[in-house]
Amino acid sequence: MNFVWQILKEQFSNLNLIFRLSMFQEKSRYNMHYLGAFWQILNPVIQIGIYWFIFGFGIRGGSSVGETPFFLWFICGIVPWFFISPTITQGSNSVYSKINLVSKMKFPVSVLPTIKIVENSFSFIAMMIITVMILVLNGYFSGIYLLQLPYFLLCLYILLYSLTLLLSTLTTIIRDIQTMVQSIMRMMMYALPILWNVESLPAFFVNLLQLNPLYYIIDGFRNSLLGGEWFFYDLDYTLYFWFITLLILFIGSRYHLKFRHKFVDYI
Amino acid sequence: MRPKIVFSNVSKSFNLYKKQSDKLLEIISFKDNKENFYALNNLSFEIFEGEAIGIVGLNGSGKSTLSNLLAQIIPATSGSIDINGETSLIAISAGLNNQLTGLENIELKCLMHGLKKQEVQRLMADIIEFADIGKFINQPVKNYSSGMKSRLGFAISIHTNPDILIVDEALSVGDQTFYEKCLNKMNEFKSQGKTIIFISHSHSQIKEFCDRVMWIHFGRLEKFDKSDEVLQDYNKFINWFNSLTEIEKKNYRKQMLEDQYKGENVSNHSIRRPTPRKPPVKKQGDILFTFQCVLLVLAVLVSASFMFGANPVLGIEKYFL
Repeated sequence: MNFVWQILKEQFSNLNLIFRLSMFQEKSRYNMHYLGAFWQILNPVIQIGIYWFIFGFGIRGGSSVGETPFFLWFICGIVPWFFISPTITQGSNSVYSKINLVSKMKFPVSVLPTIKIVENSFSFIAMMIITVMILVLNGYFSGIYLLQLPYFLLCLYILLYSLTLLLSTLTTIIRDIQTMVQSIMRMMMYALPILWNVESLPAFFVNLLQLNPLYYIIDGFRNSLLGGEWFFYDLDYTLYFWFITLLILFIGSRYHLKFRHKFVDYI
Repeated sequence: MRPKIVFSNVSKSFNLYKKQSDKLLEIISFKDNKENFYALNNLSFEIFEGEAIGIVGLNGSGKSTLSNLLAQIIPATSGSIDINGETSLIAISAGLNNQLTGLENIELKCLMHGLKKQEVQRLMADIIEFADIGKFINQPVKNYSSGMKSRLGFAISIHTNPDILIVDEALSVGDQTFYEKCLNKMNEFKSQGKTIIFISHSHSQIKEFCDRVMWIHFGRLEKFDKSDEVLQDYNKFINWFNSLTEIEKKNYRKQMLEDQYKGENVSNHSIRRPTPRKPPVKKQGDILFTFQCVLLVLAVLVSASFMFGANPVLGIEKYFL
């Protein structure tokens, strides 16, 4: 267990560094673009529009999910997904893409995935606020259920860090994994309750899809934004989520510590 | 005087993988059964405060590996390294990001060194002044000449206030004026009691600046003494080597390299001593890791089976029978 503590300690002792660097990266990302940071909103809006047109309008014919209009149901899932998906693909590449910069100095490599996560968080928070505003304007404010949001944010960040730490270590050593991650992430969107209501499947298959810890997060976000269920009512699933996250973090920190000195040699 | 850097019996070997799949095997198994190349073999020396040390040697003799070890970028395979103070490495490819402009690179590098925003602003003017690359500071680094890159890299590294400065051939691309400037700065450093390690192929530069010189020869410390003596010997060797015929040169290199592959002539205690002590500790850690891992996997499986209902096996049967 002490590798996990060591990795977490490195994160907390470098908190300032993480924020300063992710701020810098975020600023310079759209530097060459004329529309600048506006793209951060424009990009997801265009995609949401297309998905809504195809799935909401085309396939569902505008019908609602349960009692919620499809559009509102849909943005509660897709907004977190627009944060999760790029963070996992970029986060797993974070060590590889920065190793030339980092290898010429003393630098805590384990914060590179965190920097990527924090960097992507800025636009995620903005999108979340817009989402809540849209929900309120449409009269779907979840009230007290919104209190769950901090809990699910915590789940999300711990899971993202564990995954990107493990993947960034593995992709640095085996490049194939990066390609694999990209194609899996593209596919994963359809195996999560984002575009269509997965719960209409037989219970066994729903459970099968629930083995994916991201399901817990997406479902949790929807429950806290639209209301409906408290997370502690599904104790089995909560337990499962935390165990699997811990397992990923455990293996990730172990391999990271074992191989980080050799990263330079591997490239 | 207190030693700033102490190396005792330090060796660095690199694994040579024959196939890509060997790397994979190393990740999965804990065995070490691959070929090794000893880039550095059994080095022991001490460097004191305020000293300027030159490092000379042929290409591929291990100079850059030594500078990486000194900068604590890579760990030693065996032996112990004791360094008191912050090190800063300046190499030709000084870790600049090609896509960013010079200005952004300064900011990024300073931030990565853990400086605060205000400190960066304060240093910015000094660094730009020192690098002296004019309007190019606002251009992406990919458009820079190699001289400009090394100037910028040197300017940044020297302003992050290290105790130990390692200059790895970074000055060889700069012109005479820039070299003078750097020399002044390095002398200033020296007078502040900071240590400078200077790797160069230019004998005149080393003679001018360094107190002591280290001659690295195919991974071994050949000589470490006063500048004049070492340089004289090194020159003698170079002249002798140049007088050889092509075939003799080739054979000489081949023989020296073979020793490096075997890691031979390593005094027995340096390599072998840590080996009997290390595995038991490592193994215990591995067992603990495996145990905790299995425990977690079991926890995951049990909690997953609860999700499928208390009777997971029966639950599945419903759908397949």
